[in-house]
Amino acid sequence: MKIFPELKNNSKIETSIKQNALFLPDFCSLGMVFAVVIIGELLAFILTLAPLGIEQQRWNDLALISLFIQWNGLMCSAVLCLLRPLIKNQSQQFIAVISYLSMLLTIALLSELSFYIMQKYSITDIISSASHWEFLLHNLIIGGIISALALRYFYIQYQWRIKIEAESSTRLQLLQARIRPHFLFNSMNSIASLTRTRPEVAERITEDLAELFRMLLRDDHKLISWSREKELSQRYIDIEKQRLGERLNIQWQTDTIPDNALIPALMLQPLLENAIFHGIEPEINGGSIIVSGELDYNQIKISIQNSNSKNIIHRKGNKMALKNIRQRLQTHFPGNASITCKEQENTYFAIVIMPYQQIQDE
Amino acid sequence: MKILIVDDEPLARERLTHLIIEINNNYQLIEAANGLEAIEQVNKEVPDIVLMDIRMPGMNGLEAAHHLMSIDNPPAIIFTTAYDEYALQAFESHAIDYLLKPIRKERLEKALNSCSKLNKLQLEQLGLQNDEITYRTHINAQIRGTLFLIAVKDIYYFLADHKYITIKYSKEDVLAETIIEDTLKSLEEEFDHSFMRIHRNALIQKDKIEVLQKQRDGRILLKLKGIPEGLEVSRRHISSVRKLMKSSF
Repeated sequence: MKIFPELKNNSKIETSIKQNALFLPDFCSLGMVFAVVIIGELLAFILTLAPLGIEQQRWNDLALISLFIQWNGLMCSAVLCLLRPLIKNQSQQFIAVISYLSMLLTIALLSELSFYIMQKYSITDIISSASHWEFLLHNLIIGGIISALALRYFYIQYQWRIKIEAESSTRLQLLQARIRPHFLFNSMNSIASLTRTRPEVAERITEDLAELFRMLLRDDHKLISWSREKELSQRYIDIEKQRLGERLNIQWQTDTIPDNALIPALMLQPLLENAIFHGIEPEINGGSIIVSGELDYNQIKISIQNSNSKNIIHRKGNKMALKNIRQRLQTHFPGNASITCKEQENTYFAIVIMPYQQIQDE
Repeated sequence: MKILIVDDEPLARERLTHLIIEINNNYQLIEAANGLEAIEQVNKEVPDIVLMDIRMPGMNGLEAAHHLMSIDNPPAIIFTTAYDEYALQAFESHAIDYLLKPIRKERLEKALNSCSKLNKLQLEQLGLQNDEITYRTHINAQIRGTLFLIAVKDIYYFLADHKYITIKYSKEDVLAETIIEDTLKSLEEEFDHSFMRIHRNALIQKDKIEVLQKQRDGRILLKLKGIPEGLEVSRRHISSVRKLMKSSF
């Protein structure tokens, strides 16, 4: 009897992105084959119309060129279709290189084969003037350009799809990434309890909660001053303190951060929430959280640490929160900011580094 | 009627107390702040109903409920929670009574009046559909009708003997033994992260391994830190024991 069966719950978002992780479309599908045929035919038209020559011959040329291009296009599709299951777990660069090379190889082989056939049955005089190597080289150059354009197109389309997917993850999910539903309902419960015994505290907590949510529901892309960010964090801690009482201890060692430094709004709150979730809630006697910060050569470094007891079974963390903060830092300070997490001797650290930017006086 | 309120948050207990007093002033109320305290209180006070929070430090509500179900005449258990997607889905599918915080007075009254006893089967099926813990922190045993708990981290080994399993453990630095009804196989599956099989009949805590001793008669004994007797290691398991010892030194 296994009392607590393991539960595998991957986040739905991760899996949906993984399923579409391949930027190459499925060449085995009928729609894709049809598209290849159409594009191949258009290319055949271009190639037939481009050279200035005798008009009567064009229909003949079109037929032959179409045959050759369709053959190439369909064979390349078939190769990519067969290749897909073999390379789907590789990196994007690897997939691009392998598909490109395999397409060139297919084109080279087909050119050789068709040259041989045409020579043997002396079908045409189009190529009579061209030497064997010229024929191969021309085909490879045209094939190389078209394949490169196609791959580029697929890649851009893939990136666009990923972006759409990311954007369509609803506002609620964003909200959940930054605040646990648990917090909301527990706070409501605290308020319900305080309303009877200490109405003035209930009133204050309601105000705190309103202020937090007002900021949370506002536009995401916003920087606020450090003093404001600290104030909001303290409102959050204040609410949690009602619930956890003596178990929650927090120390602020952030005096050296200038009040006017710009911080992504509500960046600290999810980190504090994580610290409470992992460091305070699982411990009967609670624990402490230390928020320390400093200004160092125009860089602001903020670290949040909490004890992580070994005796306590680890809780599943809120990875979404970290991902969200990382994205926001990247938006505001591209390439100049970071968030890292590490565990050292049962202490868990989340460290944010970002450039020091001041509020512009108006 | 005696009601035990189990919640780690004082405000949550306070609110439940107020509500219950309003519902019926004659109910007798007792409190506990986590799963372990809840079991102590059940042993001591024998409540009729337990209002049990799920997320608690030390031992969570689901594990505590599981232990409570093993006593002869268990109290009725009503789970309370603020938000617990996984647990709630499980409760729904096994028709287990639960209350959502902040709890409404009418809803609480209804639950107190009509609560049926949670049956053992329901709870076993329920498992711990939670997002964090997949195994028990304690093993329960009954001595003269009282439920008592052994912390898994204090256990040296499980030794199987016919239908029963002997547990060797330390409590406040004193060695003790007790017997439970279970199978070594299910214990091995549940605790495979911290225990390992060294013989057909023995499962030992990995952290407590001290040294291997070869006997004159060719048998190999494993010594555990803090207990005098060695345990026989079977030929089948010797290589995995050696491998573990090598990797941890």
